[in-house]
Amino acid sequence: MQVAPYIIGSRSNHHNTDRRCGAIDAFAETNRKKTNDGPAARAQADGQPRASKVRKAKLSKWLVFTAFVGPAVLCFLLIQLIPFAVGIYYSFTSWNGVSSAVDWVGLDNFKRILTNDSKFADSFLFTAKFTVVAVLASNVIGLGLALMINGALKSKNALRTVFFMPNVIGGLLLGFIWQFIFVKGFAAVGSATHIPFFELPWLGDANTAFWAIVIVFAWQQSGYLMIIYVAALQGVDNSLLEASRIDGASRWTTMRKIVLPLIAPAFTICLFLSMSHAFKIYDLNYSLTGGGPFNSTLSVAMNIYSEAFTNNHYGIGSAKALIFFVVVALVTLAQVLVSKRREVET
Amino acid sequence: MKRIGMLGVSMVGLAMAVSACGSSDDNANHASPAASGSASASTSASASPAAGGEPVTIKVFQLKVEIADKFEAMVKEFEAANPNIKVEAETVGGGTGYMDALKAKFAAGEGPDIFNNGGAKEMQLWKEHLADLSDQPWVSHLLPGTGDGMKDADGKLYGMPMNMEGYGYLYNKDLFAKAGITELPTTLTGLQAAAQKLKDAGITPFANGFSEWWIIGSHFTNVAFGQQADPAGFIQQLNDGAATIPSNEIFKQFQNLMDTTIKYSNDNPLTTDYNTQVTLFASGKAAMLQQGNWVESMIGDIDPNLNVGILPMPVNDEAGSDRIVAGVPNNWAVNKDSAHVDAAKSFLDWMVSSEAGQRYMTEQFGFIPAFDNIPTDKLSPLSQDIVAFSKAGKAIPMIWTSWPDGANKEFAAALQEYAAGKIKWDEVLNKMQESWNILK
Repeated sequence: MQVAPYIIGSRSNHHNTDRRCGAIDAFAETNRKKTNDGPAARAQADGQPRASKVRKAKLSKWLVFTAFVGPAVLCFLLIQLIPFAVGIYYSFTSWNGVSSAVDWVGLDNFKRILTNDSKFADSFLFTAKFTVVAVLASNVIGLGLALMINGALKSKNALRTVFFMPNVIGGLLLGFIWQFIFVKGFAAVGSATHIPFFELPWLGDANTAFWAIVIVFAWQQSGYLMIIYVAALQGVDNSLLEASRIDGASRWTTMRKIVLPLIAPAFTICLFLSMSHAFKIYDLNYSLTGGGPFNSTLSVAMNIYSEAFTNNHYGIGSAKALIFFVVVALVTLAQVLVSKRREVET
Repeated sequence: MKRIGMLGVSMVGLAMAVSACGSSDDNANHASPAASGSASASTSASASPAAGGEPVTIKVFQLKVEIADKFEAMVKEFEAANPNIKVEAETVGGGTGYMDALKAKFAAGEGPDIFNNGGAKEMQLWKEHLADLSDQPWVSHLLPGTGDGMKDADGKLYGMPMNMEGYGYLYNKDLFAKAGITELPTTLTGLQAAAQKLKDAGITPFANGFSEWWIIGSHFTNVAFGQQADPAGFIQQLNDGAATIPSNEIFKQFQNLMDTTIKYSNDNPLTTDYNTQVTLFASGKAAMLQQGNWVESMIGDIDPNLNVGILPMPVNDEAGSDRIVAGVPNNWAVNKDSAHVDAAKSFLDWMVSSEAGQRYMTEQFGFIPAFDNIPTDKLSPLSQDIVAFSKAGKAIPMIWTSWPDGANKEFAAALQEYAAGKIKWDEVLNKMQESWNILK
């Protein structure tokens, strides 16, 4: 779903002068134009813009708008905004998740989280470290795969499917498959060949468990990011590449000076997507390590969950979720702003 | 025209979305009348099971996945004997999964009529939803101590024990004989000697499943709490600050038991999960397993002829160290706001009082009954061993239900870190105390 606007955007953008807004904005723009061309334009074409006709047109425009946007707004309201608001309310209470008594405690939850909860800080540190490494790994691999597939390979379509496949499997299932590979598969290979890499207690040690999760995350995400990068690469104007070749630019220079700047909007999207996925990681480490060994791979999302539902501190859990939301929002916003500035105008 | 047609279609879509939300709201708000009314006019007649006519339906929400099918069969027999009551059973397994689902049901106003409760802290948490069962006929048949977890400060009973379970070190009798162990160990020194003999005979002494927090955090740590002179009082003192874990003598000695299991462990205990652990034992690759009677069916699937006995988990060489752990892991509770409290109560009573219910409990579910009027002669040898330990007073209680919520996971993390060689024992005890202080 998220890929679609980008593809449309990049294609139609080519001969557009305005590239600053990036793909999604361009898509929105086309949409806006379409609706603007509608009833109002027709009324004018009729020659006699009578008042009732204008009012009718306005009404029908409003109806069309409601009919299309209404269901989405309603769902968004019901399953996102209202729970979010309720969550903010609970973060100022000491509710345990079951009782009918909900006591207002003001900022106590936040005070406790920030001053007396080293585990939350630890899980934040792990998540931050993981996000940096995992985003780098999955984007480098994703772009690499995209470049490879974009070449005139014969098996291009098959490869594209194969690389994308891990993304179709749910994270939880993927985690359990890889848990088997790490615990049983690697151990079997290790005992047969005595290669040290396979003999490591992969999920039993804090360091290797971290890398195990990074590996599975990259394996799952890079295929998805690849699709976005492929779309961007196909949007690069061939005449520019040809011109650079005629000018005697090396492959590396072409890549660095022409291709990469032109696909900068894809970087914005891919970094944003992989970053928010990595930040919110839950299913992979739940199934791979369960947060262990000794809480070393406990992500913030897991910490929030166990605070609210295992420790029965629903209020504190909500407060943690709120803090987490603010941090993720700030970081991803900063990322989008910075990488947007790097997108070029053609 | 085309545009209007399109508009119509999308308006219908919107209307459907809105009405779907509306009707689901209705269901949540008026769940009970809708459920019992069932399109007939007799909505008021269904309140009591004795009223005849329309049967009432009670919903049972339980967490024992392994008995789900047999439970259905038992329900059929109950319905045949009680045509006025229909029972709808639903099973969601796994510790937290069950609790989440239960919370969601109550939050949606669709709390089941009968559900499970672990007792102690969990009883306190759910108390406002629980019906008082103190006056039930089965109460007089409860074995000593089995009702404690569901009693409040006033002595009212809010749950019926589901079963009893016991654990310790299960041992493979044939492997013990092969290693030449003639006397079963009842002290720490004895256990170490036996483990050494097994190792000398080329047998892995322990199958440790340190990757599961409940094996190490709840079951293993429970021994140190249960070996206190007054376990409940010790927990009270920890909450008051009158006692601490690092200064406790038993907890210091507890290191020796931990060290013994690590020293004589299988490979990679930190990545060994429950399944792998039981498989190691059941396939004869390891001689001892810290588990209880609930693994019998798993062992039976791999080797039905395995000769299994149970050993205590000693922390020292003193007299009281020869005890296993036994108690009531779960209870049946009745939703006090249910429209059919009486029907629910009579179902619970039937389960432990009728011949059929008792037969299912011991022969089909393989449960060790917590009642003195249910015969135990049909139980497996291992279960009978546990009953024998229990009757001889050689059982310490399952006390983790009184710990602060979430403490068992923190204990597990500290012990895993110790097993990995990252921290010293005094740090383990400090971490345990720290978690207790934060979570209590």
